[in-house]
Amino acid sequence: MNLQFLLDGLIAGSMIGLGAIGVTLTYSILRFSNFAHGDFMAWGAYAALAVVGAIGGSLPMAPLSFGWPLLLAMVVAMGLTALLALTLDWLLFARLRARGQSIIVVMASFGASMALRSLLEFMFTSRPTYFSRAIQIAQPVGFGIRVTADQVALLLLTLALVVGMHLFMQRSQRGREMRAYSQNPALARVVGIDVDKVVRATWIIGAALACASGVMVGVLVQIRPLMGLDLLLPIFAAAILGGIGSVPGAVLGGLIIGLSEAAAVQFVGAEWRAAVAFVILMAVLLVRPMGLFGVAER
Amino acid sequence: MSILQVSALVAGYEPGLSIVKGASMHAAEAEIVVILGPNGAGKSSFIKAIAGLVPISGGQVLLDGRDITMVPAHLKIRQGLAFVPQTENIFPLMTVEENLHVAGGILPRPEVAPRIAEMFDTFPDLARQRALMAGSLSGGQRQMLAVARALIVRPRVLMLDEPSAGLSPKLVEQVFAQLSAIRQAGLTIVLVEQNARAALAIGDRAYVLVEGREAHEGPAKTLWDNPLIAELYLGHRKEAS
Amino acid sequence: MIDLLGYGAFFTSTALIFGLIALGLNLQWGLTGLFNVGIAGFVAIGAYSSAILTTPDAADRVGGFGWPILAGWLAAACITALAAAFTGYATLRLKSDYLAITTFGVAVVVQLVALNAQGLTGGPFGVAFIPRPFASLQEHAVAFNFANLAVIASVVLATYLALERLSRSPWGRVLRALREDERAATALGKSAQSYRIQAFAVGGAVMGLAGAVQAHFIGFIAPDNYLPTLTFQVWAMLMVGGSGSNRGAILGAIVVWAIWVGSGSFTAAIVPSDLQARAASLQIVAIGVMLCLILLWRPQGFFGAGRKK
Repeated sequence: MNLQFLLDGLIAGSMIGLGAIGVTLTYSILRFSNFAHGDFMAWGAYAALAVVGAIGGSLPMAPLSFGWPLLLAMVVAMGLTALLALTLDWLLFARLRARGQSIIVVMASFGASMALRSLLEFMFTSRPTYFSRAIQIAQPVGFGIRVTADQVALLLLTLALVVGMHLFMQRSQRGREMRAYSQNPALARVVGIDVDKVVRATWIIGAALACASGVMVGVLVQIRPLMGLDLLLPIFAAAILGGIGSVPGAVLGGLIIGLSEAAAVQFVGAEWRAAVAFVILMAVLLVRPMGLFGVAER
Repeated sequence: MSILQVSALVAGYEPGLSIVKGASMHAAEAEIVVILGPNGAGKSSFIKAIAGLVPISGGQVLLDGRDITMVPAHLKIRQGLAFVPQTENIFPLMTVEENLHVAGGILPRPEVAPRIAEMFDTFPDLARQRALMAGSLSGGQRQMLAVARALIVRPRVLMLDEPSAGLSPKLVEQVFAQLSAIRQAGLTIVLVEQNARAALAIGDRAYVLVEGREAHEGPAKTLWDNPLIAELYLGHRKEAS
Repeated sequence: MIDLLGYGAFFTSTALIFGLIALGLNLQWGLTGLFNVGIAGFVAIGAYSSAILTTPDAADRVGGFGWPILAGWLAAACITALAAAFTGYATLRLKSDYLAITTFGVAVVVQLVALNAQGLTGGPFGVAFIPRPFASLQEHAVAFNFANLAVIASVVLATYLALERLSRSPWGRVLRALREDERAATALGKSAQSYRIQAFAVGGAVMGLAGAVQAHFIGFIAPDNYLPTLTFQVWAMLMVGGSGSNRGAILGAIVVWAIWVGSGSFTAAIVPSDLQARAASLQIVAIGVMLCLILLWRPQGFFGAGRKK
């Protein structure tokens, strides 16, 4: 049996997991499922592409296909994506949230998603682009698995982001405030937590991680305006599978979905890949709607 | 001079539908003030409005002479006004220590750890459970944690909404003894209570709230003999709820 | 002149089919408050069901049932209702967002099946030779268009009347109560969930019927007809018309479709042909922004009676 799908799944799962962290935080803190989250990924990837273009050249650090300009561009793009999310919140979501009907906010995110995606199509056309067209040589690492230097680097980057994120949520005051707010918003205010700051932190983190994930998809696959839409269902499924509100759950959920997708590609057929997330989502909703690390509804 | 002065407060969740209809109260330094009243009198809304959780549409709240009527809830604690809600007054999925830590966030950073240690000295029961999820605590311990969480920022005034609710008589005694001790340290306590007997036993002064307004005010010790209280709590007259 | 008449009939027919989908959505969202982001999926289920059941034998896919058109429509409504009922059953006891996410997934999967299950759906090439009502009139374009318009208009009218009755019936009052008053919903418990599933299923049936009617009106279907843009258009129609109002749903559909077609031909006329794809995406941006602006400033829509919050 060819075990290559394990590595492919791990990589796809990392990108899904990074996206799912944002979705799970938005859901547990802002109390709505953000359909525009996938588009933050796409905007992040295009932002990074634009910044790389502005810096000029990619100066690859062999054996990678990219170099410090891309890493720098990613950091800048993470900031830009966060800015996009904050602007959208200020213009749209915050106003609707204040009216208290969360499902209206979901609908607004759906409208915003459509507009954001089509705006990308308008600016960059729907043709895929790439950070680099260099072909990477995959090295065998045993068990019939081959891996490229890019893949290793991006897996390490994901690991660093996830660990950093976990430490932030557990150890920092803002992280504690975010958890406290998601458990009991009214009590959080009584305790002196500034809701606005919690909301801002949630958007910044969610958008920045979405951007990182989008850049990774861009490096390993390609950049397209629809890349976020395609990942939206796996991301939601991962967040629900992991248990809404749980950062480690979102990552684990992402890995499970990524691995299942890769397994489906290998054993069923690549064309059915997109159905995997749906099947898992339905199974979770029917069997254990609170997810792996979730807690029962209050 | 009173440290907390509330005058003619009007408040309610929806505009034009006030639950608190011009209630007033005041509390002096190191005083325990008890607010009593039948169900639906607006006691709970009154105290929540003072804490900033129910929108205020009229009247005034002065803390130490400063007007804090429209100060948002999360800033009131910084002014020295702490509030312990009746239910859901802890963060269940955080440890006991994290509960204290998150509340200590408004203190200067170097003070947080020593303050947590002080709280654990005051509440040794909590110290033993520091690494447990707060949601797994018993009712009495939760109440204790909620009080400790409010005290950690050294408030001037501590307001509690029915701290005895759902506790066994023995635990009620314990919680109230704890409150008495806290007052000894100079803290002002405002207590909304259903359990009038226990509350009046530790209180200095009391108000009776009826239909969103204070109907009576007097020393706690003599209030129990007041016919109004007898009516309200012994059921000689039915109050609209 | 004749061309214009024929085109008018064609335009109105298309808009009315959108109106029919919007009627289904209005039952789900306007009356019951259920958020469906997978409209395209449910419309596609109806379209493919009827198409497969009514078309003559085709070499490379299941078929050759040759059912009459009306039977196809009925089956489309039933099959879509079942799919919607199952979606509702899986999600409606959970948070409201889960229904939204799941319907989104339904649309993705239906799209996938349409594309890949070639033996069932014909794959990317779709299903052709779907029987059209009054096919014998096809020689006379105007008569044919108007005959079809009449059929579609009667379906829409019948559905409209039925939905109006339903929403005034005790059943409809329960749905409205469930929507307005969360406590009533909790008090009803399990039966509240069952009411919501029923509403979602009936709304789904209307969408499926609309899909089938459209399939037989065009005579050909392919996966590309059922992209998320369709879902998005229908939402814009209901929001413009005013959610909660069946009349608003139909009027909204006509207005938004007119704007869509009008702005489409306008850009086609002024934008050079190599930029047309880009201009088309601007159209969607505009609709998205419009949807958000309506949510912000006029949540009751423009034609609706306006429901109390």
